Amino acid sequence: MLETEELKKVFKGKTAVNGVNLYMDKGESVGLLGPNGAGKSTTISMISSLIKPTSGDVKLKGQSVLKDPGIIRNVLGVVPQEIALYEELTAYENLKFFGRIYGLKGKELEAKIQEVLEIVGLKERQKEIVKTYSGGMQRRVNMAAAMLHEPELLIMDEPTVGIDPQSRTHILDTVRHLNQEKGLTVLYTSHYMEEVERLCDRVYIMDHGQIIASGTKDELKSILSGEETILIDLDRPYPDLVTDLQSHDGIRQTIETEKGLKLIVPKGSKLLGSIFQVAERHQAQILNVNVKVPTLEDVFLHLTGRKLRD
Amino acid sequence: MGNFLKKDILVLLRDRTELMILLLMPIILIAILSFALRGLLGGETSDFHMDVAFVIEDDEQQGIVEFIADLENTGMPPEVVLELEHAVEEVKPYTMLEQLMESETVSDMVTVAELDFSEAEEALENEDIVAILTIPEDFTYRSLQKMLLNEGDGSDLLITVKDYGSIRTDAFINMIDRYVSTMNFETAISQTLIKLGHEEVLSGSEGENIEAQELGGVESISAREPVTSFQYYTISMAVMFVLFVGSAIASKAYVEKKQHVFNRIILSNQHPIVYLGGKIISASFISFFQLFILFLVSSLVFRTFPLDEPAFWGGIAVIAMILAICVGGFAALLTAVTVKYENDALNHIFAGGIVTLLAFIGGSFFPTSEMPAIIGTMGNWTPNGAALTAFLKWMQELDMNVILPYLLRIAVLSVILIASSILIFPKRRSV
Repeated sequence: MLETEELKKVFKGKTAVNGVNLYMDKGESVGLLGPNGAGKSTTISMISSLIKPTSGDVKLKGQSVLKDPGIIRNVLGVVPQEIALYEELTAYENLKFFGRIYGLKGKELEAKIQEVLEIVGLKERQKEIVKTYSGGMQRRVNMAAAMLHEPELLIMDEPTVGIDPQSRTHILDTVRHLNQEKGLTVLYTSHYMEEVERLCDRVYIMDHGQIIASGTKDELKSILSGEETILIDLDRPYPDLVTDLQSHDGIRQTIETEKGLKLIVPKGSKLLGSIFQVAERHQAQILNVNVKVPTLEDVFLHLTGRKLRD
Repeated sequence: MGNFLKKDILVLLRDRTELMILLLMPIILIAILSFALRGLLGGETSDFHMDVAFVIEDDEQQGIVEFIADLENTGMPPEVVLELEHAVEEVKPYTMLEQLMESETVSDMVTVAELDFSEAEEALENEDIVAILTIPEDFTYRSLQKMLLNEGDGSDLLITVKDYGSIRTDAFINMIDRYVSTMNFETAISQTLIKLGHEEVLSGSEGENIEAQELGGVESISAREPVTSFQYYTISMAVMFVLFVGSAIASKAYVEKKQHVFNRIILSNQHPIVYLGGKIISASFISFFQLFILFLVSSLVFRTFPLDEPAFWGGIAVIAMILAICVGGFAALLTAVTVKYENDALNHIFAGGIVTLLAFIGGSFFPTSEMPAIIGTMGNWTPNGAALTAFLKWMQELDMNVILPYLLRIAVLSVILIASSILIFPKRRSV
C-alpha cells in the first residue's frame, strides 16, 4: 500500500533522515520506534506530504506522493503529537469544522461526528470546551478529528504522551479495534515499547535518521536469542561496581536503571556467582535479582546502546 | 470559506482579552478623549461659555442718516445714490455684529451685556466678563464711508481683556476677527458693485442686474456641519482599532501553525489559498462588524450620530466595508509572513508599533489640522487616515464624489496587500 524509497531530509546542513526505506501492506499495523531526535516525526511528515524530502520518494499504491500530494491526503488521517485542535471550541465544534474541510456536511457529517465521538468515548462530553478537558481527553478528540473522513491509513505520532492510564488504555483499544475490526492500516510511533508490542505486527527501529532494524516482533527478538537479561535491584547506586561489571569478561552490556542494574549476558552463561562476588567486594546490598528473556526494549538497547526514552 | 468564517468568529468570541481590545477599549477611549479634548474641535460649545460686555458709544441710526445726507451731496447720479442707500440697509455694521452675536452657534457660547464703560471695567475686574468690546463713536458712519465709498480710514473696534491668551479670550478675539473679515469682504463686494454700477450708469446701458454671486466663488465658513469631539473620536478610534483585527486574526494563524492545526487543514487537501482567503474574509467581516458596533454604541450612549438617517448610514456602511476589506488585506499579509516564517514578530511589531504610528499620522489622536501640513498629507495616504477623512467628509457633506479619491486609495492598498500575501504565502507543497 505504502512504501518509502531512500527518503532523505537535510535541514540547514544537518541530516535528519537518511535513506529510510519502509513499506506497509494494507491492513497492517506497523510500529516506528526510536528515541527523541531519531527522525521519526520528520519521516512521518514526509510520508504525509507535509514536508518535501531532500531526496527519495513516497509511493502510495505505486503512485508518487511527491508528484501529487493529493493522492495520500485523501486517504490519510494523521494524529499528531501536538493537540492540533482549537482549544477555545468544544469537541463538537472542532469536529464539525474539521469534518467540513473534508467536505462532509449535513446528516452525514453529524453521523460521522457522533460515530467518532462514540469510538473515543466522549459522546457525553462533546459540548464542553476542549481546554477544559484533561490531557487524555484532548488526545482522544485529537484522534477523533483524524478519523472523521474514514481514512484508509492512520499515522499516529506518539498519541499517548503524557496522559492518564484510562485514556491511554482507551486509545490503545481504539487503535486495535480500528486495525483488527475495520482493517485500517496503522503506522504507530511511540516511546512506550509495550504499546508497540501490543499493537503492531511489524516494527521499524530508527536511530540517528536511519532504520537500524526491522521485522516482526519475534524476528527482532531473535536478534537477542543467544542472550538473557539479568535485572539487579540495589539499595543505592554503586558507580565502581558498574565500572567493574563493564570490564567483566562474560557480561556484554551493563546499564544503570532506576532500581539498580540491567546486565545483558550470553544465554546459560551461569555468571550469577561471579556477579555476587563483585557486588560483595563493593559491599553493595542486593535487594532482588531477576533473570528474563529479551524484550523489544532490550533489542533496542542492544542495537543503539541507548534506552528508548534517553 | 463560510466554515473558516464561522470558526474564526467563534474563536474570537471566546477570547475575552481580544474582545476587550477590539470593542471595550475603543469605547472607553472615545469617552475619555472626547471629554478631555473637546476644545480642539469646533463642534461643541455647551460647556464653553463666556460673558462679554459691549460698550456702545455709537448711534447707528444717526450714523446712517448722516451717511445718506452726505451721499446726496456728492453729486453722484441719482441711480447710484439710490443703489447705495439700498446697500446701506444690507451692510449696517453694528446690526451685522448683533446678528452674529445672536446667531445660534455664537449665542450658545457668548452672552452679551450692554454696559457703560465704567460698569464694564468693574465687571472685567471682578472677572464677571472676559472681554469688553467698545464700539466707538461714529463707528457706523465711518464704516459705511469706508465700505461703500472707500473714503476715510474706517473705524476700529476696541477689545479690552484681562486675561490675554486664555482660551475664552482668544475665542472671543477670533470671533471678532471673523466679523471684521466678513465686513472687509462685504466692503470689497460693495465697492466692486458700485464701480460696476457707475460704469453702467455712465455708459447708459440697460444691463442685467448685477449679482453678488458673480463676483467670486466665496465659500461660506458655515457651509459644513461642525464635527463634535464625540463624532471625531468615535471615527478616529474606530479606524485605529479596526487595524488590530488584522493582527488578531494573524495571531490566531500563528497559534494554528504552532499547534499543527494548520497542518491538519492542509492535510484535508484544502488549497493553502483557501485558508488565506478564509483569513481575508474573516478579518473583513469582523472588522466591518467592529466598526458597526462602535458606531452604534457611540450613537446610543453618546448620541454621536443620528440613528434615523438611512442615507447617512448607507455611506458610512460603504466606507466601513472598503476599510474592512483593507483590514482583511493586512490580516492576509501578516498571516502569510507568520505562517511562512513560523514567527509572529511582524505581528507584534504591527500591533505594538505600526498601528500606533498609522494612528498618529492618520489623525486618530489629534486632528491633523493641528499638526504640520506634511503629516496631514501623509495621513490621508494611510488607510485609517483616508478612511477618517472619508467618514468626516461624508458626515459633513453626504457627497460620494468628495470621498471617492479616499476610498480609491484604500481599495488600491487592499489589492496590493492581498496580492503580496498571495505571493508570500506557502504554496501547496512547501508547507
